[in-house]
Amino acid sequence: MSKAASEQTDRSGESSTPTTTGETDEEIEAAWTNYDSGKATKIAVEDLDVYYGDEQAIESISMVIPEQSVTALIGPSGCGKSTFLRSLNRMNDRITAARVEGSVKLDGEEIYQDGVNLVELRKRVGMVFQHPNPFPKSIRDNVAYGPRKHGEFNHGTLARLLGRDDRQAEEKLVKDSLERAALYEEVEDRLDDNALGLSGGQQQRLCIARCLAVDPDVILMDEPASALDPIATAKIEDLIQDLAEEYTVVIVTHNMQQAARISDQTAVFLTGGRLVEYDDTDSIFENPQSQRVEDYVTGKFG
Amino acid sequence: MSYVDRSALVTDARNAAGLLGGGIATLATGAFIAGWATLLQWLDLSGSYAGFSLSTWFGGALLVLGVGLALAALGTRAGFLETTPDDGAGLLVAVVFGLLWGAVGLLLTGALIDGAGAWIGALVGSIVGLALALGPREDFGSTLPPAAFLGLVGALLYTDFIGRDFVFDPGWTAAIFPGAAIVPGLVIFGSLLAVWSGGKVAAGFGPQGRQRGIYYLIGLAIASMLGVLALLIGFIIVEGLDVLLTGASLFGGSLRIPGLGFSLPVPQLPFLTNVTGGLYVEVPGVLPAAIGTLWLVFGAILLAVPTGVGAAIFLTEYAEQGRFTQVVEVATNGLWSTPSIVFGLFGLAFLVPRISGGNSIVVGQLVLGFMLLPLVVITSREAILAVPDGYRDASAALGVSRWETIKSVVVPAAMPGVITGVILGVGRIAGETAPLLLVFGGPPYPSSTPNVLGSFALSTRPPFITNEALLEPASALPYQLYSSITAGVFPKEIFTDTEFGWGTALVLLLVVIGLYAIGVLSRLYFRKKLHHE
Repeated sequence: MSKAASEQTDRSGESSTPTTTGETDEEIEAAWTNYDSGKATKIAVEDLDVYYGDEQAIESISMVIPEQSVTALIGPSGCGKSTFLRSLNRMNDRITAARVEGSVKLDGEEIYQDGVNLVELRKRVGMVFQHPNPFPKSIRDNVAYGPRKHGEFNHGTLARLLGRDDRQAEEKLVKDSLERAALYEEVEDRLDDNALGLSGGQQQRLCIARCLAVDPDVILMDEPASALDPIATAKIEDLIQDLAEEYTVVIVTHNMQQAARISDQTAVFLTGGRLVEYDDTDSIFENPQSQRVEDYVTGKFG
Repeated sequence: MSYVDRSALVTDARNAAGLLGGGIATLATGAFIAGWATLLQWLDLSGSYAGFSLSTWFGGALLVLGVGLALAALGTRAGFLETTPDDGAGLLVAVVFGLLWGAVGLLLTGALIDGAGAWIGALVGSIVGLALALGPREDFGSTLPPAAFLGLVGALLYTDFIGRDFVFDPGWTAAIFPGAAIVPGLVIFGSLLAVWSGGKVAAGFGPQGRQRGIYYLIGLAIASMLGVLALLIGFIIVEGLDVLLTGASLFGGSLRIPGLGFSLPVPQLPFLTNVTGGLYVEVPGVLPAAIGTLWLVFGAILLAVPTGVGAAIFLTEYAEQGRFTQVVEVATNGLWSTPSIVFGLFGLAFLVPRISGGNSIVVGQLVLGFMLLPLVVITSREAILAVPDGYRDASAALGVSRWETIKSVVVPAAMPGVITGVILGVGRIAGETAPLLLVFGGPPYPSSTPNVLGSFALSTRPPFITNEALLEPASALPYQLYSSITAGVFPKEIFTDTEFGWGTALVLLLVVIGLYAIGVLSRLYFRKKLHHE
């Protein structure tokens, strides 16, 4: 999209919107662009644009994601929050038509440059999807899948014959990961059963355990509870808050109450792939700067 | 205010309509089976059964069916039967009976007057049929047209007006239809009408009635399909079992235990374990052909499965979906529908001179492999496409490379589908005859089995491993069947050529079923591994 066109979008979109406090959008934008949670930065995004073919899915987003906290991305459907999430571990690379411009730095290192090791990036930035997607394998094989594929453990008949089977180390990792995902007690005695036999909530926690098994720093979650019932959702929410003590969690959610309950800071995306406001969760829900955000979080539109 | 009619919420499950309709459908099913039995010459049309000739029985049965349907219609109208008919029988039913009665009118008037007058009969007949089905309420519309037809045909059969000696010789075609074909044909057709109508009566017309009528008809279709299958297999077994069991005994054979000096009695099945030709063979068997078929199938699978699955993986996982994959898809489908004799001709003209200089096992394996290849590609592609994208996403998000993902997640998940494709393809190529006639077949009565395993030899020249047996022609079961049936004379007196052919056909059937069984079992195994069954 040309510069003129994007300016046109600006005029028709934000600038005409009155704000709660009477400030212009630019002033608000300046306020949240400089938002600082006080914690160390884990991911720094600058001027990120993502295009699907000719369509611009997200437009010049800049934000700083602090470590060991929960960052919620909320907004109506189609506003680009999932696309943004997927650009943080370069999952958009898997979509041929997708094109990313701008900068994403993980621990100060640019992830969109030549020479980036995707395996290492995705080991550090794990992802949990909307629909639980365990492999049609045993619970144990699901959890150990990543480390085995990364050559952490020798596994299988040949390894056993050669006496190089790392079964005990692997067993420990599986147990540890499942415990961190608050699933171990429920599946303790059936680790060799097929994971598809678990309930939806258990499957989702298994997916989290599978993600934890490769020891990530950041966990991206794309509406992880939207396909689950309220009890399973509550368990996942508790789990997310526990995980934030050690990991950096970025979660996309449709559910504003969920964002308010579990997140430390919230970014509001509105249509057009623009980040409208980013602040402490309390500020977003109690005292939003932008009128549109206020309308959205109070349920007047969206 | 309501625009919708209501009927009783609860009706008696065993009411009069159900009994009447069920009785009609049952009697009609019996007539249907007897009609086929007559057509297949198990029952004799002029033969006497319990004092009456078969055509009288048929006529009586159709009359009873017609009267029963008319009774159902009248009983509904008089309020004796608890039913919930709709306002009309529907356009489809009306068109069917319009055509039926048009045909009846054409034939009846054509029998009375010549020339164009018959078409007036057709017109009148179709109008009557249409009006009868479309005009009145459903209880009349879907019972009276078939009832009238059944009554008419029943009367014609009962009075022996149409019987064994009746000949229908229409002027517009040179064909002549004898009564022996017309009578069972009419009975089968009439019984289908009665089954449908009886089903409607049994469920009391309305939506449930239409459902039941069609259900009975579809049920008969399934039964007919199974009947054809049972007939085919049963016929081959009946014809071939005696040949297969020639000289067989449970403990007649002896298996010498090496080094111990005694032998164990084992079952003996010479037809399966003997060679076909040769001087001292008492019971000629099909062992060379059976072994040949197994080698062919093995070689074809070895060629087609890795290539086909590899191509399918490339097309689904690596290639961009676009013009190229579309072209490949069309080409694959085209290859699959190419006639097998064309494959054979290609093998004869291209492969034979380059590889073996004559008919040989290896060329047969290649040609059958080429034939199997497109099916493996098509079915593997479908199976791989059906693997949920969530698996690929999850694996990629763990930093696992695309090939590792394919190897450990995608292909295992697609395995049952791939195996289904291979099963279907093996069923086809194991029975394939045409290309084998051109590129594979050797002497029609081989006196030795192809010794493929034993003839691997090392050599000093590339390719360093040679196998003479693979370059020799051999026999396969369908080829053996063809050659013994067409040879006309069987060299041994113990069988005629036809008997030997039936025995071969039975063995071929068993081999194909055995290959199917292996395939189905491995598919079950992989499916069980995938799901928590």
